[in-house]
Amino acid sequence: MRTSLLVLFGATTLTFTKAQLNFSLSTDSSVSVPLRLDSQDSISALRFYISNVRIEHERKIVWSAEQEHYLIDFNQDHLQSNNISGQEGSDLKEGVLKFVLGVDDNTSAQGIGEGPLDPIRGMYWTWQSGYINFKLEGVSNQCRTRKNKFQLHLGGFQKPYRTAQNIELKISGEQKTVVFNLKKLMSTINLKEDHTIMSPNEKAVFFMESAKSCFYVQ
Amino acid sequence: MYSRRVLLFFVLFFLVAFAVKTGNPNPPSYLPTPYYSLPVSPETNDTVALGRLLFYDNILSGNNQVSCASCHNSYNAFAHTDHQLSHGIFDSIGTRNAPALFNLAWKKDFMWDGATHHIDAQALAPLHDPKEMGSSMEELLSKLRSSSFYREEFFNTYQDSLINSRRVLQALAAFELSIISFDSKYDSVKEGVADFTHQEVSGYKLFDQHCSKCHTEPLFTNGEFMDNNLPVDSSLDDKGRFLVSKQKEDRYKFKVPSLRNLSYTYPYMHDGRFAKLHDVLDHYASDEQNGCDRKNDLEKPIVLSFNERADLIAFLLTLNDDRFVFNPTYSFPEKLKNKLLED
Repeated sequence: MRTSLLVLFGATTLTFTKAQLNFSLSTDSSVSVPLRLDSQDSISALRFYISNVRIEHERKIVWSAEQEHYLIDFNQDHLQSNNISGQEGSDLKEGVLKFVLGVDDNTSAQGIGEGPLDPIRGMYWTWQSGYINFKLEGVSNQCRTRKNKFQLHLGGFQKPYRTAQNIELKISGEQKTVVFNLKKLMSTINLKEDHTIMSPNEKAVFFMESAKSCFYVQ
Repeated sequence: MYSRRVLLFFVLFFLVAFAVKTGNPNPPSYLPTPYYSLPVSPETNDTVALGRLLFYDNILSGNNQVSCASCHNSYNAFAHTDHQLSHGIFDSIGTRNAPALFNLAWKKDFMWDGATHHIDAQALAPLHDPKEMGSSMEELLSKLRSSSFYREEFFNTYQDSLINSRRVLQALAAFELSIISFDSKYDSVKEGVADFTHQEVSGYKLFDQHCSKCHTEPLFTNGEFMDNNLPVDSSLDDKGRFLVSKQKEDRYKFKVPSLRNLSYTYPYMHDGRFAKLHDVLDHYASDEQNGCDRKNDLEKPIVLSFNERADLIAFLLTLNDDRFVFNPTYSFPEKLKNKLLED
């Protein structure tokens, strides 16, 4: 049986049926297309990397994704599917889904990658080398910036601003859902002050840690 | 016995012939282990040759008028002379003097502030900077893919016609890594095939006493970021390494440049403020404060007599590698000239 991981917006759901693993869109009504939150705030870009996606059971890897890195890219005009395939899997009843939110530090320290890591994808800093692990852009009336835009480009792989986050989510049973709660992340961001992050710094680390806590199993 | 001597002769002949042909002999044994493996020269390596074409081609800039070589001239040890601050597309003036390029395999990070941590990523910075090349990787890939010249060159290099970011950047990096310079008089002395003059020996001692802590042999840089007590230029207020690290102790620190080829790499310092070597020595002899309350990395002023200064400069001049600077292997490629004439 082919194992796959399907990621969609928003809130993302994961179905875990035996050897099949899917991220898919939550029907959470607080998010609509084009992406809008409850208020007047809108999101024009939401992209992040996930790396080294695997499921472990009793400290053994029982499933791993085909690629080392995926760029999850949510288009503002439609809820895009990001299908992630993995190796053949055996029937699984429980395990721990592990992945890195962002590009893992070892890969970042290397040179330029291909595919999802190609710098033309807009997730590589040019003035200071390194991947942007998480990009969130949009418009909010709270932002006293040009055209009320906010731009959070969260990255950095060197001390003291390492931003990639290790995520572990226990999953069990035949069907499970993993949700990325964008509203929760937005609630940690004070857009009046934190509207522009373009380099590795303390805030970038803080918001990546916040984003880490926004993934959960339902 | 006779046949062995003949064999040895031929072996030595081919070794010497190879070194002369490539202009890129193996680096001397007294060097530390490089961070990157060294490619061979453009004459024998397709990736390096492709990188050399890209390095000299104006196609990299938004208006097709600026190349890497615009600010990194082979005849100046790949530095940018005559301008304090290097200039790019539409005559835009930047904020720093382009550093010299050689022996890059021994660098763990790049740019005056170390903003680039890997050589493959370095070219993205000038390519995208609106004051340097004012282009983008997407735009460059589009131009390269529509060029029959480059389609053929990529095919010849990689055995398929795929042109992507990684190949472009790695080809540029391969050429840049091939630029090595260890053929100065200093190197000949180290190898035991030349001798310093009395004056150079005297200068060497002064160098060892006053300069070697930062400009450490044999690369003549310790590869670190240091504050050498330059007064802050208020028109730039360039905080150097701090811009990358955000650490207060890194304010006004810049990468220590190599002193090799120093006759070719003027003007000096990150902002090119000193046109002549004597200006640099004047600065290090001065006990002038830097204008703010920061602690610099110099222990005390380096005060030299007139004769000592002449001796020190005599030694520093032994670090020039004339054969490197005028090595045709590194200069504008003939093949590109033909392409430009056809365009």
